[in-house]
Amino acid sequence: MKLVKIISIILLVVFVGIQFIPTTRNLSKDVSNSDFMVVFDVPKNIESKLKVSCYDCHSNNTYYPWYNKIQPVAWFLEDHINEGKAELNFSTFGEYSKRRQKSKLKSIMSQITDDEMPLESYTLIHSDAKLSKEDKKEVVSWIETLVY
Amino acid sequence: MKNLSVKTGILSMAFLTLTAMSCKSETKKTETEDTHAMEASSHENEGHDHATMHGDSDSHERSVEASTEKNAATTPILDAYIQIKNGLVADSKEKAAAGATALLKAFSAFNMSELKGDTHNEYMEILESAKEHAEHIVESTIDHQREHFEGLSTDISDLVTLLGTEKTLYKDFCPMANNNKGGAWLSEVKDIKNPYFGAKMLKCGSVQQQIN
Repeated sequence: MKLVKIISIILLVVFVGIQFIPTTRNLSKDVSNSDFMVVFDVPKNIESKLKVSCYDCHSNNTYYPWYNKIQPVAWFLEDHINEGKAELNFSTFGEYSKRRQKSKLKSIMSQITDDEMPLESYTLIHSDAKLSKEDKKEVVSWIETLVY
Repeated sequence: MKNLSVKTGILSMAFLTLTAMSCKSETKKTETEDTHAMEASSHENEGHDHATMHGDSDSHERSVEASTEKNAATTPILDAYIQIKNGLVADSKEKAAAGATALLKAFSAFNMSELKGDTHNEYMEILESAKEHAEHIVESTIDHQREHFEGLSTDISDLVTLLGTEKTLYKDFCPMANNNKGGAWLSEVKDIKNPYFGAKMLKCGSVQQQIN
């Protein structure tokens, strides 16, 4: 029992300690001219879906609920967002060449259609980010009009 | 007191495991693409009135002449591309991935110092895009490889138009590829061997153009 006590005290200290390590927040107030929503004429309903379901990890602006400010969640998230943005960044979409824009759009469609995105681990916590079958259809067929 | 610290211990452990678990659940793909309605490319090409990306790669403002040059410099790139293509024809994820690794190597070995102006810019765009596709092909499932192969084929085909080749190539097209949107590829042989379906539909497609 003593061992458990010691371990839990250590864990507690570590847990409190790591809260003081700073992280970079993915927050940018300005909407750049190359933002997806500026580059394309996006219907309101599609815009809100993309913002809620994709922008947290694929833009320069993440909405952080309180629990995402706690370590080690915040670390994990920081990493995750960097990875997401490297793959696709809606905030700077206009900076991709036309060629890459087209291929990104195609990838967005197939990721959504194949239920790979939004990630299950993400929608598990953010239930509002979940896209229903109808939502997916709507988003995908709108993107199709851009590509084909 | 003892009870309390045990509780905190359990709680913090639970918390740590919970947070450690939530990342990167590799989502599994389901193979449900056998439903090919044999209506060919059903995509309407009516005009859409807002900013779309129609025919992007060939309708640039740039004035780049199609090259008819017998260019040997592009051969390593094309050979690697064909290696990917043949990997997909053989339904081999590993062979396709090996081809993509070879393609990345071929691109970094390519000497672009001779390319000037618009040709250089065009090349850079193709390179950027092709590299991205190749990187994905290296590390993906075969379905995903095929999706990227479709984009890669556009890039490589544009590269041939831009810089030319000494090889004899066939530009093939399968209307059922890419979710019935149609997909093209380049082949070194005249016979149709479909990289988008492999053994499932090896013969689907037709030669659209012969290069050299």
